[in-house]
Amino acid sequence: MGLNSNSRYSCLLAFATACLVLAANLSQAEDAGNLYNTNFDINAGERYFERQCSRCHGFDAKGNDETGAPDLTGRLSRASTEVGIFNIIRGGVPGTAMLPVAADLPDAQIWQLVAFIGSLSTNPANIDLPGSASAGGRLFNGKAECNGCHMVGGQGGRLGPDLSRVGERRDPEELLSDMLSPHQDVDPRWWTLRVTGRDGVVREGLRMNEDSFSLRIMDADSNLWSYPKNQIDSFLRVEESTMPSYTQTLNDSEIDDLVAYLFSLRKEN
Amino acid sequence: MKRFAILALSFYTAIPAIAQEDPFETVITPAFSPVTWERLVNAAEEPENWMMYSGTLDSQRYSRLDQITKSNVSELEMKWSYQIPVIDRAETVPTVVDGIMFITEAPSNLAAVDAQSGRVYWRYDHELPDDLRICCGRNNRGVAILGETLFMSTLDAHLVAIDARTGNVLWDVEVADYQAGYSKTAAPLIVKDKVVTGIAGGEFGIRGFIDAYDPVTGELEWRTYAIPGPGEPGNDSWSGDSWKTGGAATWITGSYDPDLNLIYWGTGNPGPDWNGDVRLGDNLYSDSALALNGDTGEIAWHFQFTPHDVHDYDSIQVPILADIQYQGSTRKVMMWANRNAFYYTIDRATGEFLEGKAYASQTWAQGLDANGRPIRVPGMAPTYEGILVSPPIVGATNWYSPGYSQQTGLFYVTSFDGEQEFFKRDEDYEEGERYTGGGGRYNQPMDAFHSSIRAINPATAEIEWEFPIMPRSSAGITTTAGGIVFTGSADGYFFALDAATGEELWHISLGARVHAAPMTFAVDGKQFVTIASGNVVYTFGLKDD
Repeated sequence: MGLNSNSRYSCLLAFATACLVLAANLSQAEDAGNLYNTNFDINAGERYFERQCSRCHGFDAKGNDETGAPDLTGRLSRASTEVGIFNIIRGGVPGTAMLPVAADLPDAQIWQLVAFIGSLSTNPANIDLPGSASAGGRLFNGKAECNGCHMVGGQGGRLGPDLSRVGERRDPEELLSDMLSPHQDVDPRWWTLRVTGRDGVVREGLRMNEDSFSLRIMDADSNLWSYPKNQIDSFLRVEESTMPSYTQTLNDSEIDDLVAYLFSLRKEN
Repeated sequence: MKRFAILALSFYTAIPAIAQEDPFETVITPAFSPVTWERLVNAAEEPENWMMYSGTLDSQRYSRLDQITKSNVSELEMKWSYQIPVIDRAETVPTVVDGIMFITEAPSNLAAVDAQSGRVYWRYDHELPDDLRICCGRNNRGVAILGETLFMSTLDAHLVAIDARTGNVLWDVEVADYQAGYSKTAAPLIVKDKVVTGIAGGEFGIRGFIDAYDPVTGELEWRTYAIPGPGEPGNDSWSGDSWKTGGAATWITGSYDPDLNLIYWGTGNPGPDWNGDVRLGDNLYSDSALALNGDTGEIAWHFQFTPHDVHDYDSIQVPILADIQYQGSTRKVMMWANRNAFYYTIDRATGEFLEGKAYASQTWAQGLDANGRPIRVPGMAPTYEGILVSPPIVGATNWYSPGYSQQTGLFYVTSFDGEQEFFKRDEDYEEGERYTGGGGRYNQPMDAFHSSIRAINPATAEIEWEFPIMPRSSAGITTTAGGIVFTGSADGYFFALDAATGEELWHISLGARVHAAPMTFAVDGKQFVTIASGNVVYTFGLKDD
């Protein structure tokens, strides 16, 4: 994750500034924030991460439900500041497999790791977007009809993901891709299941959950259906999104506005 | 066996009828009697007990108990649950001896409970240092028992002997230095008068070994390294000094054949896992099955499944031993579904390869040659940029136990059809630090892959049936004379299949991932089946009359 050099949106590499903002309420010893925040440090942190952390957190840092290691590419559940991340790395999380690093590991190396983890999520302060978030909001609830399927702040439809905080987990490049190529990398939650009952009746709906012995779907009328697999005739997965591509219905400027709006949807907003 | 429960019943419900005779007449023996080596050799003949990790020395995980059948398994109900107090995942296979169940817990603890009620007799909490070096979670998978002593591995690479009646520590020995990356998670195996045990740490540049300890004193009796030293056959299969840090950990429990007096044990990946450039050669005896003399530990033969592995395809599977009909005669074989996606039937007296085929999705080998050696697909080694290979790092199967049914003659394995991008990295060895040389990344959501329980005919290596489940299960398998295969799933089910056909017989949602293998036992003539899910141990039985 993160923005690459070909990004449609420019990323301001004002990492130090962001660190100072994050460090505002920290203890005296930590007030200077992370001084190890250059690209060199981030790369060094990545090397350390790949070697020491990736076995549990994954080579892409997206976590592992088997080991219980969390996704580190978005908002972190146990730390909201860089110092918090530093402390977890230094001291571990008691009672879990997240062990402390070696006691003799220099602080500088931990800060490099903190810088790398920080680079995995997109700080909105570092992003300069061409679109207008307010115009995008009007499109969302108007011409683009996004709210027919998606909720924001409790308002909207049920046939797509709740987007109230989508800006925390998707960067602008990914949001753009979501709108232009919705069938790429579809979360299995938004696949469609077509279930044929023993009576021959076919029902189709969003794949709310599938496990080894049962299925649960929501149909287009928001009805919830649960099926034991051993009591149906068959089922078919459609591993695509139900969302249309917006390449034909919105122009570039409107898409930029929608990206700006969606990226603004964060907890603090 | 009559136990305290019967005593209580006599007192409170039957006193008027029998008080004039002897109210204690029905109380014959207390729970638990010492476990001799003879009992362990003949463990199959007392199926009311589950006296070692894999049930019997041949590790078939086949129980002769037949009270729970294909016809009545759907009537199973939960009898009790035991909540492990430390929240973590339970990979334990409990041991049951004469009505007492011994449950290992994360990180390295042990509890003894009444097998009928799940209520605690005692518990032992092992004190661990706070600077452990472990690769893959805080696990413990079970104990071994001999006499009145339990033997348990601990994460700080110790072997601990514990009094089975009280939980008191009898001795505690350091097997290896945890600060150098060694750790222990697997149940030991009793072989005659020794405690045989392996070692973990294959991601830390250790040198794997298998040890035997005196059960009374804790003294090391012999150590067989899984990587030959200088001057020993096979050392030249490692370039330079790479043998010193070559891994080949031995982190799951092996098996034993009393007639051949051979111990069978799997070995793990060579290190660094994903960068083979620094360890050119076949890297013996990584990713191998070792057959060791039961008295001396001397290597009688070896079979290397994946020479010069660069995908972390540990041969850390429990070897299943059985005598089967093969091409018109009875053969003593070892059955092995490997993490590398190939199934093997091997003559366990000689190590001769008999049959082998892929049992799960794989792209790294064109097949096996006449000796069972893989014929590699060129260009499938990890790269700096990443290359897609099947099976993924977690393998087509892994450490979780397969099973074998004496009724069907089939071998059962939890299998995974997946793929992953493999990356190579350059790393220098530093003691106590990870030494893996890369890693892996999925490029699809887990739900896009497939898992299943597969039944394999060991005489042909063909898949006889499969039962699909959601990926990626790490549950082991147990079979019974009731014609049942018991196992679990990643999405928290415990379920029973018809061992002959794979037909679903029963399932129950336990809610949390099953990381363990089921086991079955009986007390007072009633059969139970136990499985750990999440960090809870559940025991099921038929409805009381």
